[in-house]
Amino acid sequence: MQDLVMTAYILIWPVLVGIMMFIMGRGVMRDFSRARRNGEDVV
Amino acid sequence: MDGFSFYQLQTSTVVLLLLAFYGGTFLLSMRIGRKSENVDGYMNSTGAVGFGISAASMTATWIWAASFYAAATSGYKYGISGPIHYGLWGALMILFIYPFGMRFRKLAPEAHTLAEIIHARHGRSSQLILAGSNIVGSLISLMANFTAAGALVAMLSPLEFVHGVLIAGVGTLAYTLWSGFRASILTDVVQVAAMLGAAAIIIPAVFFSAGGTEVVSQGWDRFTAEQANLFSRTAFLEQGAPYFAAVLAYAIGNQTIAQRLFAVREDMIKPTFISATVSYGATVIGLGMLGVVALMVGLEPAGGDHNNLIPQMASNYLSPVLIGVFFIMVIGSLSSTADSDLAALSSIVMTDIYGRNVAKGRVDPKVMLWVGRITMIAATTAGLVFASYRIDILSLLVFVGALWGSIVFPVIASLYWPRINNRAFTVSVLVSLVVFCLVRFGLVPLEGGSALVLEAFATIGAGVVLGLMAFGFFGLRAGLVVGGGAALLLAPFTFGFLRDYTVLLSSLNAYGVSTVLCTLLTLRSTENFDFNDIRRRVTNFDEDEHAGAADVAPGATQPGRA
Repeated sequence: MQDLVMTAYILIWPVLVGIMMFIMGRGVMRDFSRARRNGEDVV
Repeated sequence: MDGFSFYQLQTSTVVLLLLAFYGGTFLLSMRIGRKSENVDGYMNSTGAVGFGISAASMTATWIWAASFYAAATSGYKYGISGPIHYGLWGALMILFIYPFGMRFRKLAPEAHTLAEIIHARHGRSSQLILAGSNIVGSLISLMANFTAAGALVAMLSPLEFVHGVLIAGVGTLAYTLWSGFRASILTDVVQVAAMLGAAAIIIPAVFFSAGGTEVVSQGWDRFTAEQANLFSRTAFLEQGAPYFAAVLAYAIGNQTIAQRLFAVREDMIKPTFISATVSYGATVIGLGMLGVVALMVGLEPAGGDHNNLIPQMASNYLSPVLIGVFFIMVIGSLSSTADSDLAALSSIVMTDIYGRNVAKGRVDPKVMLWVGRITMIAATTAGLVFASYRIDILSLLVFVGALWGSIVFPVIASLYWPRINNRAFTVSVLVSLVVFCLVRFGLVPLEGGSALVLEAFATIGAGVVLGLMAFGFFGLRAGLVVGGGAALLLAPFTFGFLRDYTVLLSSLNAYGVSTVLCTLLTLRSTENFDFNDIRRRVTNFDEDEHAGAADVAPGATQPGRA
């Protein structure tokens, strides 16, 4: 049980990284869409 | 290095990887380049940058090469709690600044640097103290990143240290020079995708290649009791507490964070900085776990240098393709921070030196842009030269971070308390700096009465750190209760004890002395500053581009800058 908990403790972080990549990636795509729609610069 | 040989990528592979990375980034920056850049855009983009790009940029900026190496070192030395005590507090630097960032934007929606706001509040001396500390910090960070590039290239290829330094320096300058901050944040998006993607693959790849759960079951024997303890006192006192004390200091002292606070759409500050906090924390703590795995497999750091831990783990447990991915991950992390430092340095010199002091607000935009670009070239040159000396940059940065503790209370309080005047700000910071140096370098005997006085100020300093954090989120009353309560609760533990921890003692004294002095001098002040004056004094520089109808993004409260 202790070994499983430790394994989960090590591997939870790359899972979180993947989730944040998805959230930020979706945000970036929306930023580009909004800028294109409004005829603005994205940066 | 003591019998260990790192996997060597071929010279052609490394050159191709670096060409692809820097060449691709350069081409990306050219897509947004304009023949005639706007000076405000060069420093803070549109002031209405969306959530996705802002969060990605803040994450990329805050993750630098040292993040990985230091987190892994912490995991190796302190065991399972080690990466937390590095990654968590570093992440909180991003989180705790955002409430104050919302205040900065409310007071000065068109600000370019925090020092510029302080100039409007107090005048030149206060401004230059903050700007000077920002410049020193960014220069040191630049040198550290170039040094890391040189070390990585020398370690994983037949190329020399100096080749890596030169390629990273010239490559980063090339894509940042023309469009400044705009190029920095756009390229950060690609760089963070590479970094986080690589981290998400490399962490489980190393873990399973090293043996997976078998490594864990056999590795417990290699932990000491403290290393196996998630709530290790040793790890907290030696790693966590000094870093925790630096949370607000790094956030206030670093212009790269302030630039992103000024660039992001105002209604997106909170989600941006919360996301960046989680992304940074997860990535750095995750890579720090490689240090824990190294401990469990019984790896000895090559040459006794803990910075070799992650490259060793990569060499031992990753395929050649994934070693290439690891290489790009480190190059991406150091380049994204280096380009942010270049953008930060150029904005400080453009605004705080040329804009507000030389031209006194009446700038020539063309001259201002070239001031910024020449600053980048000069900073890169300085960074390359000093990187070649391989100085212990990280110790220097820790020192500067602690120095920044002297300015935290005066800066934050100045933007809320109308009675603070320039004298209170300047005197409190300078005296605090002197006290910090005296304690840090052991120039004051840490025994008897002097030790008690220093421990008293450090206790106050600990209360100030916690109080300011509570104040940012919950207001003045909460800040006073938490700050006062924390100092009282900690007092029985700090007296007679902190004198054995010079780094922590000196860091907390920086906070405590500046707060006490600033408060005492302010209570004698008759000033009653009108904060609306800041908005009137801090304006865009490139007025030609802002004449006529403004193009306002939903949720933004200021005209688009570029």
